Amino acid sequence: MRRTSTYLGLIILLALLFLLSLQIGILHLDTSVFSLIGKRGSVAATTVWDVRFPRALGAVVIGGALGIAGALAQGIFRNPLAEPTLIGLSSGATFGTIVGIATGLAGYGSGVNCLAATLGTGLAAVITLFLAPNKNFGFLLTGIAFSSILTSVSGLIISISQRPGIQSLSFWNFGSLSLINFATVRVITPFILIGVVLAIALARGLNIWSLGENTAFYMGMNVKRFRFVAIIAIALLIGPAVSAVGSIAFLGLLVPHVVRLVVGPNHQHLIGFSALLGAIVLLIADLLARAAFAPHEVPLGLLTSLLGAPILILLLRARRAQWVSE
Amino acid sequence: MISISRISINRGETLVLQDFSATILERQATLLSGPNGSGKTSLIQAIAGTLPISTGEISIDGANPFLAKALDLAKLRSVAPQRRTFSLAFSVAEVIDFIPVKERADHWENTLELLGLKQFLNKKVTELSIGQQQRVSLSLSLLQESKFYLLDEPFSAQDSEYQIRILQLIDELRKEKGVLVVSHNTDSLHSHFDQELHIS
Repeated sequence: MRRTSTYLGLIILLALLFLLSLQIGILHLDTSVFSLIGKRGSVAATTVWDVRFPRALGAVVIGGALGIAGALAQGIFRNPLAEPTLIGLSSGATFGTIVGIATGLAGYGSGVNCLAATLGTGLAAVITLFLAPNKNFGFLLTGIAFSSILTSVSGLIISISQRPGIQSLSFWNFGSLSLINFATVRVITPFILIGVVLAIALARGLNIWSLGENTAFYMGMNVKRFRFVAIIAIALLIGPAVSAVGSIAFLGLLVPHVVRLVVGPNHQHLIGFSALLGAIVLLIADLLARAAFAPHEVPLGLLTSLLGAPILILLLRARRAQWVSE
Repeated sequence: MISISRISINRGETLVLQDFSATILERQATLLSGPNGSGKTSLIQAIAGTLPISTGEISIDGANPFLAKALDLAKLRSVAPQRRTFSLAFSVAEVIDFIPVKERADHWENTLELLGLKQFLNKKVTELSIGQQQRVSLSLSLLQESKFYLLDEPFSAQDSEYQIRILQLIDELRKEKGVLVVSHNTDSLHSHFDQELHIS
């Protein structure tokens, strides 16, 4: 009951925020977006349908992807702090994207670029896992260290690249939805959908996985294959998202924690709710990024960090018995 | 049949078990005894396929625990480790549901009854006492449909009432399955077992 009503409430909230994203922006609309349905040509209609609509759609797809990726990463690494930006997965994606663009192999928003980011994410995950001395803080710190290496190398590539316009890509460090358009959304969505399907398929196994790899093996799970598929799923969710909007910190960390507080730790519910809440949080963050300092737009990754980091500190202090440390 | 033939096990540089052989049969309960540090848990983990052996051979109904597929092994042996860490706040009912009803061993209802889990199905597993958590963990292993049940110190955190109930479960289980139970304290246990393997 509680779960169903929470689902409905979140879906309604998502729909309202979506409409609000179409309505609000630097260009002030005199009428409601409903009166622009089916209209084309005017400045207002172009702004709403060609700029704000793909941007809101992108926020939903990417926010959902980041929410699920956070839930998957915490589950598969059995670490409550395993957040894609924290453990270097987003840096892997940024690295893949920037290498693609700097070498001229792929332009921003292209399929090849998206693929490069996906590969970068997967590689970062595998390397961190391989280098980490243990599964807990050793893993986190290895991820953080490896993440700085990737971020620095990406920065170096940007600095020395001759490719025109690449300097503007430093937004990847903060994350912004301002570059997103229909073409980008169309490129990343299939990748992300495959990631979502994999995540749903992994949900039941992740519950058993939480009792440890040995238990998973005793109960008949192919441990290596399971971990591999989970990393592929995370890469398919994070890579495309980062290639389109840069790395958005803390969303993947906080969303699953909040969901666990409300609906419990069962991954079969966690995945769906994290997708919904992720989409909602990103829509809110983007609205704030556009409206809070209007007419200036601030990078929304700054906002998620500014809001997310204090919440992380509170979470670390409270814990609320939802995730007992090993 | 589980056949263990002349195995040695190393943990790091330490030799924990040397030249050990044994046979564990179906429809029998086998007690594995020995002092602390004698390698009982290592032996269970080797049969389970999680601790490699340096020499010798182990087979469970002909299957090699280090090479067979995880899913096939799960149907041959079920393992209750000494400790399991419950890191997420699942309810007891959710943990039991890790094994869907249609996949559970026939004795599942009796198991939940005897382990006294029905009264706290809605409690969070992370909020239970160590002894209660151990019973949830034990139930998960016993619910798994398998031929052999490897139970590592199932009595260790239990009061006398639950020790008796777990013995009752073992008595039921050995009518149809093979059971291997590790215990360092074997007083009064002998009548419940067909065979004792002692490691010193």
